[in-house]
Amino acid sequence: MADAFTLPTRFGAESLGGCYAPETLMQPLLDLEAAFRSALADPAFQAELKAELRHFVGRPTPLTVAPRLAAELGFKALYLKREDLTHTGAHKINNALAQALLARRMGKTEIIAETGAGQHGVATAAACARLGLACTVYMGVTDMARQAPNVARMRLFGTKVVPVEAGQGTLKEAVNEALRGWAGRCDQAHYILGSALGPHPFPTLVRTFQTVIGEEARAQALEQAGALPEAVIACAGGGSNGLGLLVPFLGDGLRRLAVEAGGHGRALGEHAARLDGGRMGVLHGCKTLLLQDEHGHTAETASISAGLDYPALGPELAALAMDGLVEVRRASDEEALAGARLLCEREGILPALESSHALAALPALAAEGVATVLLGLSGRGDKDLSTYQSRLEI
Amino acid sequence: MNPLLPFLMAGDPSLEALPAQLSEARSLGIEALELGLPHSDPIADGPVLQAAAHRAIGRGATPVRVLQTLAGLTDSPDLILFTYLNPLLQIGAERLKTLLAPTPVKALLVVDLPFGEEPAFEADLRTAGYPMVPLLAPTTTLSRARQVLAERPDPGPAAPFAQRFAYVVARLGVTGAGQDTDLAPVSERVSHLRNISSRPLAVGFGLADAASLAAVRTMGATPVIGSALVRELAGGESLSGCLIPLMDGDL
Repeated sequence: MADAFTLPTRFGAESLGGCYAPETLMQPLLDLEAAFRSALADPAFQAELKAELRHFVGRPTPLTVAPRLAAELGFKALYLKREDLTHTGAHKINNALAQALLARRMGKTEIIAETGAGQHGVATAAACARLGLACTVYMGVTDMARQAPNVARMRLFGTKVVPVEAGQGTLKEAVNEALRGWAGRCDQAHYILGSALGPHPFPTLVRTFQTVIGEEARAQALEQAGALPEAVIACAGGGSNGLGLLVPFLGDGLRRLAVEAGGHGRALGEHAARLDGGRMGVLHGCKTLLLQDEHGHTAETASISAGLDYPALGPELAALAMDGLVEVRRASDEEALAGARLLCEREGILPALESSHALAALPALAAEGVATVLLGLSGRGDKDLSTYQSRLEI
Repeated sequence: MNPLLPFLMAGDPSLEALPAQLSEARSLGIEALELGLPHSDPIADGPVLQAAAHRAIGRGATPVRVLQTLAGLTDSPDLILFTYLNPLLQIGAERLKTLLAPTPVKALLVVDLPFGEEPAFEADLRTAGYPMVPLLAPTTTLSRARQVLAERPDPGPAAPFAQRFAYVVARLGVTGAGQDTDLAPVSERVSHLRNISSRPLAVGFGLADAASLAAVRTMGATPVIGSALVRELAGGESLSGCLIPLMDGDL
C-alpha cells in the first residue's frame, strides 16, 4: 500500500489542487495514484487502452475543415476537432474507458460515477458494460429532466441511475453523492470522476486520459494544414475537455482559450463563470476558483448547459488561467444557442450545448484579427434537442 | 473515561436555543460536545446531518454568527467545532482566532483537511490552542495511523479530552445511522490503536442506540452520538430526554 503521493498534487503559482479528502478516502486515493503510475508505465496497459480507443471509441476523431462557417465569421480557416464523433458522442469516453480499464486492473468490481449532462454517465455506463463492471451513476434530478435521453441510454447499458434531490439537483450535488457513495464502497468500488477536479490524483488522471484530444488535433493540424492555427479554443465546465485540447499546445506560440458558461446574467447565481466571479476556495477535495458566498458556502449557478454549470473551475485549468497560459472567456445562454444554430446551418453539424459555448466565442476572436482557429467540438447535440426545439422555436 | 460525546448542529433548531442546549448538556455531566458548523456541501455527512445543516443555513446560522453566539459562554461543555475547511479558509486564520478566543471551543475537527494540506494554517491554530482532531478510518492502515497521530500530537494528560482524543471512524461511508454497524472489527481496530497510542479514543459513525454505545464503552472508548440525536431533537424531543437514557448505556 502506498503511504505518500509521488506525483505533484498542486498546480501553478497559487498551488491549486491538493487532496482535501475525508480520511476514509485517503488510502484509496493513495492506492489509486500508485495504480495509475504503474499502469502508465506498463506497455500492456497502454496497448490495451490504445486498442480500445481505436476500435471501441473510434479514435482518432477527424479534424474537420469548416469553410462555410469560417467564411461567415471572417476566418481564413476554421478546424473542428470532432469529439462529437466518438462512441457515445462526447470526449468523456476517453477518460471513462481508461479509468474503467484501470479499475479492472486494480481488481475493482464496481464503478461509481457522477454525471451532469449525462455524457460522462453514458460513457462510463458503456465502458462498464463492455468490461463487465457493475455501475452506479449519481445524477441531479434537474439534469435528469433536461437530459432524459442520456438517462435512458445509461439504463439500457445496465447502469443504476440514482436521482439526487438535494440543492439545485445538478452536477455539484451529484458529485457530493458520488463521493459519499464511494466512501461507503471504497473497498470494492472505483470512483470514475469525469472532470479534471476532485482530490488528487483525479485532476491529473483525468487530464492525462484526455490529452489524446489535443495530441491528435495538433498532429492533424500540422498534417492537414501544414501549420498550427493561431488559436485553439474549447469550452470549460470542470476542465476535462479544456485541458484535453489545450495542454498539448502549451509549448506552442499560439492563443489558448477556454469558454465558461455566462448563463443569463452577471450576478452570483446567474452564471458559472468562475474566473471573474470565483474566489479561492475548497470544494470536492481541491482548492481552486470557486463560486461562493461570503460565508464560504457554495453558490448556486445557472447555465443552459448541464455540463458547464459546475461552481468550480478544475484546479489545473484555473492555475493555467491565473498564470496567463490560457485565456478564459464567457458565453451567455443566448450566445451559445446562436453559435449552435450557425454551425447547424453552415456545416450540418449539431453541437452539444457545452461545445456551443466555444462556438459562441468565435465572432469576438475574428474581430480581434485571428485568422486560423482550431475548436474543440466536445460533443454532439442530440441530447439537447428538446432545449434547441423550445429555445430556437423550431 | 468520558462516557459520551454528543454532536449538535449549530442553528438547528435555532441559534437562539444554542446557549441553553449547551448549558443543559453541561448540567447532564457532558464533558465535551461536537458542534457542527452548518455547511452547504457536507460530503462526509449522511442525509440527517445534511438536512440539519441546510435547515440551519436557511435560518441564518452562518459560520461567523455561530461563533458570535458562542462568545462569552462559560456554562458549556468543551466544544469541538466539527466543520469543513472552506468556511474557515474564507474567515482566515487571524480572524478565526479572534472569533474563537471568547468561546468554549477547544479543538477543531475539519472533515476534509488531511494533515499536510494546509500546514501553516493548521500550525497557527494549534499554537493558538485549537488543535485538529486526528481521524482514523477503517481504511487507515496502522502505519498511516502512526503518521496521523504524530502529525496531530497528543498535548498530554494535562490537556482536556477535547484536545487529546483521536476519532475512530467506525465504518465506511458517511455519518448517520441507517445500517447496523458491526462493532467486532471496530473493537479489533481499537485494540491495535491502543498498542500505538495512549491517548483517549472516541468511536463514531452509525451508532444509534444504547446497546451500541455500551459496546463502545466496553472497548474503553467514548461513543459519539450524532445523527440519531439530531433526528430526535428535530422531532421535538428534549436534549435531556435524548441523552439521559444514553449516558450509561442502560435503558
